[in-house]
Amino acid sequence: MTLLRTEGLAKHFGGVAAVDDLALAVEEGEILGLIGPNGSGKTTALNMLSGFLVPDRGSVWFADENVTGKKPVALARRGLLRMFQTTRVFVRISAFDNLLTAGLARGLDEAEARERARVLLEELTLTPVMYLDAGQLSGGQRKLLEFGMCFIAPPRLALLDEPFAAVHPVMRETMARFIRRRNEEGHTFLVVSHDMPIVVELCDRAACMNAGRLIAIGATRDVLQDPVVIEAYLGSESHV
Amino acid sequence: MSDARNLWSHRLAVDFRAALVVVAVLAAAPIVVTSPYTLGILIVSMYFALLAMGWNLLAGFAGQFSLAPAAFAMLGAYVPGLLDYHWHVSLAVGIPAGIVGTAIVGWLLGRVVLRLRGPYLALTTLSFAEIARVVISNSYDFTRGAQGLNVPTLMQSRVGYYYLFVAVVLVVLAGLFFVMRSAIGRFWLAIRDDETGAESRGIDVVRYKTLAFALSCAICGLAGALYGTFSQLVSPELGLLLQTGIVIAMVVIGGIGTLTGPLVGALLVYLASEWMRGLGNVQMIVFSALVIIFARFFREGLWGLVARRRVRALPRAAAGAR
Amino acid sequence: MLVVDLFVNGLIVGLFYALMAVGLAMIFGVLKIVNFAHGEFYMIGAYTYVLVALKLGVSPWAALPLAAIAGALVGWLVERSLMRPLYAGYGSWSIMKDEYAVVVTFGLSLFLINLVDKVVGPYPYRGPALVETSRFAIGPVMLNGQKLIAAGVSAALLIGLALFIKRSLWGRQIQAVAQNRLGASLAGIDATRTTSLIFAISGLLAALSGALLAPVINPSPDVGGFPAVKSYVIVVLGGMGSVWGAMIASLLLGVLESFFAVYVSYDYRDAFGLLILMLVLIFRPQGLLGEKVREL
Repeated sequence: MTLLRTEGLAKHFGGVAAVDDLALAVEEGEILGLIGPNGSGKTTALNMLSGFLVPDRGSVWFADENVTGKKPVALARRGLLRMFQTTRVFVRISAFDNLLTAGLARGLDEAEARERARVLLEELTLTPVMYLDAGQLSGGQRKLLEFGMCFIAPPRLALLDEPFAAVHPVMRETMARFIRRRNEEGHTFLVVSHDMPIVVELCDRAACMNAGRLIAIGATRDVLQDPVVIEAYLGSESHV
Repeated sequence: MSDARNLWSHRLAVDFRAALVVVAVLAAAPIVVTSPYTLGILIVSMYFALLAMGWNLLAGFAGQFSLAPAAFAMLGAYVPGLLDYHWHVSLAVGIPAGIVGTAIVGWLLGRVVLRLRGPYLALTTLSFAEIARVVISNSYDFTRGAQGLNVPTLMQSRVGYYYLFVAVVLVVLAGLFFVMRSAIGRFWLAIRDDETGAESRGIDVVRYKTLAFALSCAICGLAGALYGTFSQLVSPELGLLLQTGIVIAMVVIGGIGTLTGPLVGALLVYLASEWMRGLGNVQMIVFSALVIIFARFFREGLWGLVARRRVRALPRAAAGAR
Repeated sequence: MLVVDLFVNGLIVGLFYALMAVGLAMIFGVLKIVNFAHGEFYMIGAYTYVLVALKLGVSPWAALPLAAIAGALVGWLVERSLMRPLYAGYGSWSIMKDEYAVVVTFGLSLFLINLVDKVVGPYPYRGPALVETSRFAIGPVMLNGQKLIAAGVSAALLIGLALFIKRSLWGRQIQAVAQNRLGASLAGIDATRTTSLIFAISGLLAALSGALLAPVINPSPDVGGFPAVKSYVIVVLGGMGSVWGAMIASLLLGVLESFFAVYVSYDYRDAFGLLILMLVLIFRPQGLLGEKVREL
């Protein structure tokens, strides 16, 4: 079943088409990688999917409901959760309180949120720092905490923006493991990433954007070997 | 602090207990303090404590730096005053009307400034405050302008007024404690720390921000309404930006984002300024300098410093996990 | 012909506003904060001028540059002692930046007002005029000699500032830091020194505007409140941080207010600007003259 799809999605900034006529579909239960060179419109697309930008044209459908122009809160309530490239944790309360707050925001009662927070802290190896203010955590620990806040109540679809950028390799592995395990439990992911080895390892399918348009979509290996994709990456970074 | 004592529930509980001790001291004060003059000073300092708690709700807990608390105290004081002056409505109706009125205006202001942050919010609320004051000063026919308006009193007994203020401080404090312990309080903290982050996790930022504005303004309105009947005169001077400056000074010195801080800050600053009045009127120089020093070097304020020291003094093992 | 009179006098007032507001706009441009003590720079200029001229018997024309130096010095000191945490590698400060800026500049404003109140006294002083003239008329326009000279000096200073920012090396460094602090630092510009410079210029201009108007306004310790509020309105109108926007907005506000006071309401003339400020921030936060800045 298609969980999320867009039709003719477009956004212009000034005269520049950041995203143009984007038709993307995320199938339930998959990990879809969204790749593309810098400035290809990935983050703009993600901002429209998560309600932070209102598209100029086109529509977004989530679980067969038209959610175009809906606010981030409304989408989060429906289980469409988004994580940012720069972490957005609540820096002046403890890591544990961060998780608790996220749980309450998703409608859990307090006892349940506490219980799940403890389990998640353990799984994410954050238990030793659970009482520290989130502002005192390292960058990688904050990223992990964000995963926890996203999964304190199971999301239907998690949108991850460059989750592996500037993260220590050991923590990168913890994060990849976390994503894989959740995926095996049936969770769906859309991962925007530059990190090709991880995309290959993690994603069932990949979609590639260039200059605001979708240029390839399909099985990850096929997409990465697609001449159009290689062409798009040549001259910028040749990760492939 | 790296143990369970840093959990919000724990910090808040300790904070609340300390604030209750302060209220208890206030309640016991008339045993020692009998002069009506000194009681009057304590009453005014409790008026400022209410304003400080109200502003702290908005700025310290929800992160919205409004510059309008004094304006809302003024509005809250004028509602019962005008109702009595024009229509002879009793204070029993007038005071609640003042609270509800300021809550509604606060809610509307909150709606209007939703998208504004930081300096933009400060400027907009400052403008609102100044416009409100200018309108009241200039509408002579309706408000008697800068001359001020006489307000009837609730009771003749000064001790009676004193305990009324103590009771109201206690009620507001307890209310704040329960709200801050609930999900609403946690959502405010989240909005304060990262509004976009809060929104993306499903916190209805619009709803909780406007709620913070409404409640904060209602507390300020309540303070103003009570103060008006106590002093039996309300004037546009209640809404001067200077008054807002004093409230901010009290909260920053006492400890922003806590329950005890604003209470202690208001009492200390007001009592000390009464004392310094005899020493050559230097109180405002001292307090504005203290605000700068605290903001620069002791951002947690007095209560923050005390709370941290208390935790350090305890052995780690005693903390345990909760 | 009242219209012409109102227009010309509005423009003159606008020139004074501009001298005050551009400094505030420059500070907003580099640090994205509102300096709530800006009015006190004006007050310090007015007092320096009056006290130097009256107590030391210095010619008003010599008192003017002394007031400017006093303002620049205070601006520089404020930046050195209080503004550094806003940008100089204090890590965790960044999230508290707005709060810190509001509290500290508000506190500074109260401090300076009360300090002057205590040291010099709360009573207004009458400043000596640069030239002794009475009001005179050119055609339909009623003018006042002191105001005219002050307006001329203001206009010259504003043009000088515009040239300084556009042409000089320091001016271009200011532009660079305002656009991208990190980028400018990487390009070898000393962003810290540039920020100090901006505060000094801001203090200098505000102090000069206070000194120029001292004979008209009779300074008292809280005299800065009124021009400060005007500056907030102008900075918002001109698009938060744009010096050119602030200059145009100043003239615009001066003229609008002058007409408003006569044709709509004299009592509410000061509330009018504040209402504009609120409406602009609520409906067009980028300012009437500014470009939209994307957040996130």
